[in-house]
Amino acid sequence: MRRVRSLTLSVFSIILFAVFLNKAPELLNGYWQRILNLIAINAILALSLNLIYGITGMFSLGHAGFMAIGAYVSALLVLSPAQKNAMWILEDIYPWLLNVNAPFIISLILAGLAAAFFGLLVALPVLRLGGDYLGIATLGFAEIIRILITNTARLTNGSLGLKGIPAYTTLFMSWSCLGIVLLCTVCMLRSNFGGVLRAVRDDEVAAKMMGINTFKVKVLAFTLGCFGGGLGGALMGNLITTIDPRMFMITQTYNILMIIVVGGLGSVTGSIIGSFLVTTMLECLRFVENPITVFNINIPGIPGMRMVIFSLLLIVVIIFRREGIMGMREFSWDIFFPKPKHKKVKEESETVLELENVKLRFGGLSAVENLSLKIKRLEIVGLIGPNGAGKTSAFNVISGFYKPTSGTIKFLGKSIGGLRPDEVCRAGMSRTFQNIRLFGHETVLQNVMIGSRVRQKYQWWQSLMPFIFTDVIREDSTAKAQAMNLLEQLGLDEFAEEQASSLPYGAQRRLEIARALATRPKFLLLDEPAAGMNPQESEELMKFIRRLRDEFNLTILLIEHDMKVVMNVCDYIHVLDQGVHIAQGTPDEIRKNPRVIEAYLGAGASEGSAA
Amino acid sequence: MELNIFVQHFINALSLGSLYGLVAVGYTMVYGILRLINFAHGDIFMLGAYFVYFATIVYKLPWAVGVVLAIIGTTVCGLLVDRIAYKPLREAPRISALISAIGVSFFIENFAVVVFTGMPRPVVQPPILMQPIEFSNGVRLIPLGILVPVVAFILVGALLWLLYRTKPGLAMRAISFDIETTRMMGVSVNKIIALAFGLGSALAAVAGIMWALRYPRVEPFMGMTPGIKAFIAAVFGGIGSVPGAMIGGLLLGFVEIMSVAFFPTLSGYKDAFAFLLLILILLFRPTGLLGEKLEDKI
Repeated sequence: MRRVRSLTLSVFSIILFAVFLNKAPELLNGYWQRILNLIAINAILALSLNLIYGITGMFSLGHAGFMAIGAYVSALLVLSPAQKNAMWILEDIYPWLLNVNAPFIISLILAGLAAAFFGLLVALPVLRLGGDYLGIATLGFAEIIRILITNTARLTNGSLGLKGIPAYTTLFMSWSCLGIVLLCTVCMLRSNFGGVLRAVRDDEVAAKMMGINTFKVKVLAFTLGCFGGGLGGALMGNLITTIDPRMFMITQTYNILMIIVVGGLGSVTGSIIGSFLVTTMLECLRFVENPITVFNINIPGIPGMRMVIFSLLLIVVIIFRREGIMGMREFSWDIFFPKPKHKKVKEESETVLELENVKLRFGGLSAVENLSLKIKRLEIVGLIGPNGAGKTSAFNVISGFYKPTSGTIKFLGKSIGGLRPDEVCRAGMSRTFQNIRLFGHETVLQNVMIGSRVRQKYQWWQSLMPFIFTDVIREDSTAKAQAMNLLEQLGLDEFAEEQASSLPYGAQRRLEIARALATRPKFLLLDEPAAGMNPQESEELMKFIRRLRDEFNLTILLIEHDMKVVMNVCDYIHVLDQGVHIAQGTPDEIRKNPRVIEAYLGAGASEGSAA
Repeated sequence: MELNIFVQHFINALSLGSLYGLVAVGYTMVYGILRLINFAHGDIFMLGAYFVYFATIVYKLPWAVGVVLAIIGTTVCGLLVDRIAYKPLREAPRISALISAIGVSFFIENFAVVVFTGMPRPVVQPPILMQPIEFSNGVRLIPLGILVPVVAFILVGALLWLLYRTKPGLAMRAISFDIETTRMMGVSVNKIIALAFGLGSALAAVAGIMWALRYPRVEPFMGMTPGIKAFIAAVFGGIGSVPGAMIGGLLLGFVEIMSVAFFPTLSGYKDAFAFLLLILILLFRPTGLLGEKLEDKI
């Protein structure tokens, strides 16, 4: 019902806008038509940068470079041989280039593809970097692209640039391009793949443990964003009709960044609103640079004043409303209407996990020393030890965050030593973290759904066109139903639509477990599940852990400091001390083991207790 | 290559490198403490050059007075930038401060266009700095080429003394480890941060002044490229490390000058070398030459 209403309203307003665009050439003068064109182009650019930065969380300052590639590819394809012949004055154009020609639409697609190709080349090495380093490296790449364009005169006519590009970018053209880009972006972001992108932004480590190859996802998002950059650049070139390398300086990237910051990082609606506001404002501010007459007093134009006001506004926005206009929210027709109130696992080998002489060293420091252990199916096993014993390090080795220095790890009979976390997850292992790592900006339901992405079959590109590839819709709705089911089982269904970070502490811990379960693991690692809980809560936790094993057929390995929990819930216990495996046995055996008592209480304590 | 020419290139590289180094030190101090790329730092450098231009050439003050005034003026500007644009964002996500920095950079550049006009202005060099000194083996040097690295090394040495031998220096290093704990030790964190901005801006002013003398002109966008390159130099050296920034600056200076000296045909690609080198360093040693490794705790 609600969906039909929203769809009708959307279609209706799109038609209305199309009619307006159709009439625009008669209603508006050339100046305003140009602004309207620029709004659409800037919106495409903002959406693509927002995909890279706002949604997937990769700080890229290279957009101008990808725009330049798009603009040049398209211009070189649509310019006629005669024009090219006349333009290359200083050096001769490559003969093969002279006669290359393509229709505008084809040139747009090729422009996007060329930018995406360069984006991929850039992404493969640089996306291994994070944060600010990525920003600087991408800025560097954009600069390199610009320098290359300036210096390869036979290809690009160097610093003279290209002139007389046919003005193919009409209102119809730019807005239909925006329409297609917008539709694909919205569809993708609404699918579970979109959730994956946001998950990578919110917590990459946790996303890996959900079976997501985060590097691949980042490369993909970056490449897609570059496609948008190239497309936008090509449209821009065919609107302005002149391009040269100086057009694509870092300032160009800053302008787009400004749009998405003003609109709201991570919000598609924000990017559209942002490009309306910023583009219009930048144009309207031109008046301060022209001479004006107020009450017969002539005020000469002040060059540079426009950018002074513009940059002041940017600073004011970021200081007083840093989340922008939309924050991370999206537009929905529902805001105009009042809200309505509202398994069996196959038998496996007996041993689930087997570690043999696993060592982990950081330089000279030995975090885990010769750890060997076996965990049988449906066992609940505890891993205990004083602080710094290497428990979490052992977890990190098992779940693939660290490569063991030596030794073998076998999971369900297969060696998993050296696999990445996402591969380990796909093999059937999941974990929680000592410091809770939820995708804080997502809803509870979305957090769990991301866990099921690893089992979904549809490809990322299908999520761009869900109306053609209905698998996307079908699989997403199955994932949603399963996620809801999980939430019900864990008593979290009442929070389904709330933001994960707003949940109370205990519920966040349970949500982390629910998310881990969504990957359908056979083996679950819990890192200090009782941390921060009061006696009553940890009592409930013990029941909960046993229930997990029985209902989900899980084998569980847990780290815990709360001895009451460990002794009550575990079938078997391993003890580490300073990286060394000092004891193992049933809870009763461990309680009496003198080495364990010594490790916890210091030398001499065991004799004391014996006496 | 003749000895004479080589010495010329060497001195050029040394002085360009030490200018990059002086600016890089400011980037590295602020980044070490706040994890913020102060995009406006290159523009602070530009202000230093303009201030000395106005003091000595427009208002005809003696160079010594002009230089002191320019350093003071630039330092005040650096402090104002921190106070107005960064301090309100200390608790905000890092990206907000970064965007604010981009805004400030935009603002200073365009404000300079409004106030000083966009036209480049020539700087008249004091003749004493330009009088060539001739050595017996035919090598000719101008005093300015030697003055620049000497001043840079003295200043960075003084800064290192301050960082490692004084209380405020200790506080600054402590903040870069853990800002919250340092606050609890009773250190007035905001004052120390302001000190870092002030020192960085003063060094940038000196660099700007010497830059204006060496490439004798000033213009509003003169800080952009040297600024980005100095940041690259800071990354080379390992961001957060003051000696690293200086070494990175020198390295970059040598790469730029020597690549053009030995391969003149590639001079159009000069600016690309810096970025290429940056990307290579980031890939193979992301923490730079002297930087420490930061890891995400799992």
